[in-house]
Amino acid sequence: MSTVLKISHLEVDFEINGVITNTPLRGINLEIKAGKTLGIVGETGCGKTLTATAIMGLLPSSAIQRGEIEFGNHGDITKADMADIRGSEITMIFQNPQSAFNPIFSIGAQLTMVAQRRGISDIPATLTARLESVGLRDPKRVLESYPHQLSGGMLQRAMIAMALLSSPTLLIADEPTTALDATIGDHVLTLIAALQKREGFAMLFISHDVTAVAKTSDEIAVIYAGRVVETGPTSEVMKSPQHPYTQGLLGAIPSAEKARGTLVAIPGNVPSVLTNIKGCAFADRCSLQMDKCAQEPPTVQIGKQSVACWAVNS
Amino acid sequence: MSEVVMQISQVTKVFPLRDSKVGFKAVDSISIDLHKGEVLGVVGESGSGKSTLARCAFGITEPTSGGTTILGESLVGKSRKATRELRANLGFVFQDPAGSINPRMSVYDAIAEPLMLAGMDSASIDTRVNFLMDRVGLASSQLSRKSHELSGGQCQRVAIARALATNPKIVLLDEPTSSLDLSVQAQILNLLEELRRDFDLTYFLISHNLDVVSHLSDRVAVMKDGVFVEVGTTRQVIDTPKHPFTRELIRVYSGASCEFDLDTWQDGPLNRWAFQNVSTFLPTKVIAASPEPLSLDIELDANLDAITIDVADSTYTLPELLADVDTDSIVVVRKGVLVYEKYFNGMTPDSVHLLQSVSKSILGALYAVMAERGVIDIDKPIAFYLPELVGSVYEAATIAQALDMTVAINFSEDYSDPQSEMARLDRAAGWRTNTTGHDLGLRSFLRTMTASGEHGKAYQYCSANTDVLAWLISEVTQTPYQDLLTRYIWQPMGAHDDASVIVDREGLSVGNGGISCTTRDLARFGLLIVNGGRANGEQVIPAAWVNATFAGASADVESADYLQALHPGGSYKNKWWITAGASREIFGVGIYGQYVWVDPTSETVIAKFSSLPIPVDGVHSRKHMALFRAICAQ
Repeated sequence: MSTVLKISHLEVDFEINGVITNTPLRGINLEIKAGKTLGIVGETGCGKTLTATAIMGLLPSSAIQRGEIEFGNHGDITKADMADIRGSEITMIFQNPQSAFNPIFSIGAQLTMVAQRRGISDIPATLTARLESVGLRDPKRVLESYPHQLSGGMLQRAMIAMALLSSPTLLIADEPTTALDATIGDHVLTLIAALQKREGFAMLFISHDVTAVAKTSDEIAVIYAGRVVETGPTSEVMKSPQHPYTQGLLGAIPSAEKARGTLVAIPGNVPSVLTNIKGCAFADRCSLQMDKCAQEPPTVQIGKQSVACWAVNS
Repeated sequence: MSEVVMQISQVTKVFPLRDSKVGFKAVDSISIDLHKGEVLGVVGESGSGKSTLARCAFGITEPTSGGTTILGESLVGKSRKATRELRANLGFVFQDPAGSINPRMSVYDAIAEPLMLAGMDSASIDTRVNFLMDRVGLASSQLSRKSHELSGGQCQRVAIARALATNPKIVLLDEPTSSLDLSVQAQILNLLEELRRDFDLTYFLISHNLDVVSHLSDRVAVMKDGVFVEVGTTRQVIDTPKHPFTRELIRVYSGASCEFDLDTWQDGPLNRWAFQNVSTFLPTKVIAASPEPLSLDIELDANLDAITIDVADSTYTLPELLADVDTDSIVVVRKGVLVYEKYFNGMTPDSVHLLQSVSKSILGALYAVMAERGVIDIDKPIAFYLPELVGSVYEAATIAQALDMTVAINFSEDYSDPQSEMARLDRAAGWRTNTTGHDLGLRSFLRTMTASGEHGKAYQYCSANTDVLAWLISEVTQTPYQDLLTRYIWQPMGAHDDASVIVDREGLSVGNGGISCTTRDLARFGLLIVNGGRANGEQVIPAAWVNATFAGASADVESADYLQALHPGGSYKNKWWITAGASREIFGVGIYGQYVWVDPTSETVIAKFSSLPIPVDGVHSRKHMALFRAICAQ
């Protein structure tokens, strides 16, 4: 199976007045196969969205980026002119559809602008078919509507339609269901899965919600403080998590089955992005901490999973 | 059970709306007791009314009617002082921890404030604040900090300490962990449980997150549209959910894969989504609504919810039985008036749903019109109109035989066998993945069908017979099937919304089960039948055909055991099922629980969609029959 996107050693620093203030991404390695979904899961501030921003080539000028992002047959796109790739071959949907649409233009006007930019012929028919394909039953009304006139679920569908107008190779979905009710969110996830089956795009699915990621992804990457600490096939990672952080995250999911008061509560907090991290970023919160953790742990292969942890390594 | 510490009785909250006299009823007469030391969890989605209920119950918002008693004393109609004393028994923790602490106050001041208001002296306050800090797991070094210097988890710990400052008995937890990361949420949930045990607290917990609610609560109430649709112990609700919404929530939180699969979309649970969304994964064509839709008078009959229905040694109320058969929607029209209407599983009056084989009954009506207009002669063999079917079973079988399912054909309608002709038909129609290299489209599949005996003698249900008829009529008229339905059925009957029909890879309509429409429009179609083929004062389909359909198949036709077991004396005619029951009902039925039920005696029409986990079984069929008959008997 061919690789659509390969990220190697991606690091991002922020620099103000020539001084590096922090390094929110500290070496991200990821790979997405054609037609498959890679889910990135992690807590606030771990670098999920920043990774997506880097792929789209939308980092602010204060960011210094190192490493490679290889995309399809374009090779390394970190230095390429992203204008032709972004929004056509790689598209993105966001957490908050309200702010992804411009409130003063109708949905139709905004979709038309995208369609024109992508050189789509017969725009009205294409837009109607596209909106129908995402389960919006009354395309005419949706096209005439302004963003505030549609429900969150409908807007999210309209945004998916916009992202798929150009038949992208890769769709980046950044917390696409976080702002929706659970049942509506589930419908949107099923919709995306059905569209993916039909149209064959690869997907990078980003969420803090482990359950949502597990539902949608073929492979999972767990990010902690700007580094991938564990990757592997979703079923394997969910069944036998190897990294102590992944184990903690899965143990922290409450349920009727777990006795009250006994959730795995990882002590402390996710380190602030301003912290200068040496060695394993999770060491301070880890019950398996040892001397070696002061050094950066290497990534080792355990079965189909890759894990960055000294304790697993030894 | 331990003593009742809070009694919420008949709480209703109505918010006025500008253009409505009745206003919006956010909470609809909810009553529930909280027992000492228990955690009652209310789970619901945004807009379900859970926060409004809590605000009314805790005296933050004045309910429109009803009220709360706390430790036996009513919150309403007390003096300010008495109210304040009573409220000292209540604590509050809200979702946004930073927002519930004054940003200009230090942690110390935030926790001390309620104690000062309660009139405690400063030395005691000091002791109490330090005690609380310790209990919520904060170091005393953090006392001088302000909220912006704390993490979300620390803020929530401060909010909890403040809520517990005056030693309340009952604490409202309104989405207490919704803005926290998973690992921090676990810390707070553990802390809340520890505090509850140590201080003998009673919690009223509200959350959209079923995992959080079911983890912490002794009892769970599931709230939707202002009412509790289900209340029970956590185990009862999670293990044996009764209401479809509860089941849907549990499924969503179960982590069941959202992976869409073209080979399993018709089965549960994927069908709960797929039946409302076929146009997102299969090609469809529009059956257009009428420019002048038939308006339905609505006079809801509240008595229907109270009827009881006996079936299979159990007694159900109507809502219970609807839940039991995985209902997605139901519309009941009695004597032209819509008297009952319910939607579940995300459906609304605007939602369309796949009809499955109820689509066949619509085709039957179209053929009645086509035959009357002389477009076709139903006694002619099918191959007379479709010469390319010479050599197949359809060379000799007539249109009438295909309409009545008396074609003797080598065809297994087994929905579970991937080798059956039914599975081949699904692959040909594009309803399943097809990697076989043959059956590429309905036409090539239908050509391969062979005869198994003499036609017209015995009833044999075969879906392919309907696909061949959808093909035939569009070939003869040189008009797409969906356009024929639009022109001769959908618009004349006054459909309010567009419907659609699934087409195969060649654009040929799937006649056997591809139509999706709204529940009300399916009821309008039933109405057309019960009114003898008339709608809007026009004869849309011939009355003679409607009468012939009610009369059923000729007694000479050999029936099938399963049909006789369910409907003694019943038969299949013109793509409708005839019950031969006392009320002479006829109906259209589709797999996984789709129905249009027409009872001429009580002039009742029922349109009903479901997403049952399996295609057909006698138990669910019997439940549906009992349900329809009980409604019609009212």
